[in-house]
Amino acid sequence: MGSGSFSSVLKKPETTSFIILVLVMVGFTLANDRFLSPLNISNLLAFMPELGIIALGMTLLLTAGEFDLSVGAVFALTPVSTLLMVQNGGLSLELALVIAFAATFLVGALNGFLVTKVGISSFLVTLSMLLIVRGTTLVLTQGFPLNSWDGDNWLRTALAGSFYIGTVRIYASLIWFAALGLLALYVLNVAKVGNWITAIGSNRSAAVARGVPADKVKIWLFIATSMLAGLAGVISSLRIASASPVAGSQYELEVIAMVVVGGTALTGGRGTIIGTIIGVLMLRIIRNGIVLVGVPGLAFNIFVGVIILAMLVLHARFNKSSERK
Amino acid sequence: MPEVMKLEDIRKNFGSIQALRGVDLTVNGGEVLALLGDNGAGKSTLIKTISGIYPIDGGQITVAGKPVRINSPREAMDLGIETIHQDTSLAPDLSIARNLFLGREPVTIPALGVFAPLDLKRLKAEASKLLRRVGISKNLDADAPVNSLSGGERQSIAISRAMQFSASLIILDEPTNNLGVEETNGVLRFIREVRDAGHSVIYITHNIHHVMNVADRAVVMRHGRIVADLMIRDTDLLSLEAIIMGADAATLAAGLKHGKQH
Ligand SMILES: Nc1ncnc2c1ncn2[C@@H]1O[C@H](COP(=O)(O)OP(=O)(O)O)[C@@H](O)[C@H]1O
Ligand SMILES: [Mg+2]
Repeated sequence: MGSGSFSSVLKKPETTSFIILVLVMVGFTLANDRFLSPLNISNLLAFMPELGIIALGMTLLLTAGEFDLSVGAVFALTPVSTLLMVQNGGLSLELALVIAFAATFLVGALNGFLVTKVGISSFLVTLSMLLIVRGTTLVLTQGFPLNSWDGDNWLRTALAGSFYIGTVRIYASLIWFAALGLLALYVLNVAKVGNWITAIGSNRSAAVARGVPADKVKIWLFIATSMLAGLAGVISSLRIASASPVAGSQYELEVIAMVVVGGTALTGGRGTIIGTIIGVLMLRIIRNGIVLVGVPGLAFNIFVGVIILAMLVLHARFNKSSERK
Repeated sequence: MPEVMKLEDIRKNFGSIQALRGVDLTVNGGEVLALLGDNGAGKSTLIKTISGIYPIDGGQITVAGKPVRINSPREAMDLGIETIHQDTSLAPDLSIARNLFLGREPVTIPALGVFAPLDLKRLKAEASKLLRRVGISKNLDADAPVNSLSGGERQSIAISRAMQFSASLIILDEPTNNLGVEETNGVLRFIREVRDAGHSVIYITHNIHHVMNVADRAVVMRHGRIVADLMIRDTDLLSLEAIIMGADAATLAAGLKHGKQH
C-alpha cells in the first residue's frame, strides 16, 4: 500500500512540475549565486501574484473545458477605467472600483453567455472580447498611459502595500495570492461545485444527465476569471501608481502557459491548483533566472518555449501510462 | 405489481423528424422490460424524454399514479428515475466515489450551498459499501479515477450508481455495447439483481439472447411507435425473432404494394 500511494503521488502531474521546478532553481543557483539573494527573491515575489491571481481563475475555467483570452485586456480595462473616473470624474477610489468591477463582471458574464447559450467556442468569443476590451481601453485613454496617481488610500495599502520580513520585501499582493490560492484549492478539491467543474470538463453530457447546471457553472467561472484579471490589474496599477492601456498585453498566453505547465489539461477535466502555483513560480523563475544567467534578451523566448514544450511532453507521457482507453 | 410509470401518446419532433409519434407504454413494478427496435426507431429519444433530457411535444407522463412534467434530469432523478445513457454516463477524470455521487454529493455544511465542503469520509465509505454490495469491490479502490477502469467496470459503476438512490425505475440504453463476454455477463447479472431488489428496469438492446435471458417483457418500437408488446414467458427465441422480422416483412410487403401502384 505504501509503495502504491508513493507511485500514485509520482504520477500526479504536479509532482512532475515540482521536481522540474526544483531542478530549475538548483540550476540557476549554481549558475549565479545572486539568484537566491534577498533582493532577487523580493523581485520574484513582487510580480508573481499579478499573473498568479489570473492563473487561478484560468485553472478553474480550463478544468471546466473552456478558456479566456480576454484576461490580458481586462487586466488593463479595470484599472484604466477606475483611474479615469478618479482623475477626470472626481469619484472616490472606492466608488470608481465598484463601477469598474461591475463592468468587468459584465465582460465575464457576456463571455459565458455567448459560449454556453449561443454555443460559440470560447476561443472565438474571448478572442473577439480581447479586441473589444483592449480597443475600448485604448479609446478611453487615447492610447496614452494615465498621469501618475498619488492619492493615498487604505485600499492602496491593503492591495499593493509592502513590508519587510528580514531583508526580503513582501508585497501585500502575495498574501492576496496565497489567500485566493487557498480558496481556489478549496473550491476545486473540496467544495461540491469543484466536483461539478471537473465533471463538466471531463464529460459534459454525463454531468448534465446527473442534474449538474453546467452552463450556469461555466458562466460563473467566466465571471470569476474576469474579476480576478481585473483585480490583478488593479493591484498592479496601484503598485506603480499609474495605469496603461497596453498593460497586460499577451498575459493571456503567459497565464495559459503557466496553467498547463503546472499540469492542468487544455482539454478539460484535469485541473490542479497546486500545479498552477508551481507553474506560476516556474515561469517567473525562468524569466528572472535567464536574465541573471545572462542569456541574451532576444533568445529569451526560445528558452521559455522549449521549457514549456518539454513540460507538456512529460505530462503527456505520464497521462498515457496511467490511463486506459 | 402496481404500475411505476405510464406514458400516453408521447410525441417528440426534431424539426421535421417525428422521432416519437404517440407512444403508449406502462411499466410495471419489479419487471425487466426489454425495449427493442432498429436504429433510429426512437428508443433513445423515448428514454431521454423520460429522463428529463428532452421536453416532450405532446402526451402525458404519469409516475406512481401522479401526472408529472419532467423538465430536467434532476426532476427525473427526484421522481426515482435513474438512467444510464448510451453515450456514456461517467466523468472519466473523477474518482469512482465522486462519480457515484455526482449531482447528489453528501456535504458537511449544507448552508454553504454549492461551496459546501464534500463529506469526503462519507463519500468514500458509502462508495466502498456500494462497491461491496454489488460485488465489484475486489480490486477497485473508490478513489481510483474512472479512466483507469475497463468498459465493463465502468458500466457496473454506472449501474450501481443508479441502484444506490433506490430508484423505482432504472433505464439502461444499450449497456453492453463494446463490452467483452465476461463484462456483458456481469451487466446481465446486475440487471437481475436490480430487479430482485425490487426496481423496475427498461433495458434497450439489440441482442435477442439477452432479452430471453433477463427480460420479463419485450416491447418493439418502429418509426417512433410501439408495434409489439408481449411477455417473454409467452414466447420463445424464434417467435420473438419472427415478431421483430415479421414487422419488417409487413413493411416490405407494404412497400411492394406501394411500388406496384406506380
Ligand atoms: N438530437 C436530435 N436531433 C435531431 N434528430 C434526432 C436527435 N436525436 C434523435 N434524432 C432522430 O430521431 C430518430 C430516433 O433516434 P433514436 O431515438 O436515437 O433511435 P434509436 O435509439 O432507437 O436508435 C432518428 O431518426 C434520429 O435521427
Ligand atoms: Mg439509441
